[in-house]
Amino acid sequence: MSKVASMFHPKRLDLSGFVNTRLIRDHNKRNAFAQMEPERQALRYIIRNTSLPQRTRAQAQLQLSQMHCYTRPTQIKNRCVASGTARSVFRNFRLNRFQFRMQALAGELPGVKKASW
Amino acid sequence: MAQSRILDLVKTQCRIFSLNFNPQRLRLGNKILRQRLRGPALAAWYPKKTVSFRDLQNTYKPLGLTTFDEAEDDREEAIQMSVGFYTRFALLHTD
Repeated sequence: MSKVASMFHPKRLDLSGFVNTRLIRDHNKRNAFAQMEPERQALRYIIRNTSLPQRTRAQAQLQLSQMHCYTRPTQIKNRCVASGTARSVFRNFRLNRFQFRMQALAGELPGVKKASW
Repeated sequence: MAQSRILDLVKTQCRIFSLNFNPQRLRLGNKILRQRLRGPALAAWYPKKTVSFRDLQNTYKPLGLTTFDEAEDDREEAIQMSVGFYTRFALLHTD
């Protein structure tokens, strides 16, 4: 398998809303991970299974470590859907703190209200 | 209760609930197989593209229906205007 990131690029961009290069890259990583996850889990099972021969397990280890880095879940970073920012992103809203504040004050987030007591 | 009876009970339990019977507590990696796949949930983080005007156009063109894209029309008009301007400009300065 060739180890170029371009093999995970879609023919046409299937995203709407805010888009930038880093966001698209993260999206590609997510798709790559989703595509290769069964294979990764199978290899992980072989590695953890102590009843299998040592050689098989070592081979599985090697194969897992040689998979493309885009198929690794640790490569995925939650980014803000509205601005592409990677820092201080609320998981529940998929927005970073500033976008969250702006949208909440504008009343675009149902059920969110500025605290006051 | 005898140890063998308890083992039998656990064995039956495992068979019924399709679990792995492993009294020696060997590390068989079954916890990996029990994990759920989280790829689809992770891949759905960013909003997917919905239907665009071009998709609509592509579906209705073969049926012989006409569509009017205002932005595209504006763009073509602007091109026509600029082309007209530059040809007139070129004609003035050829002599």
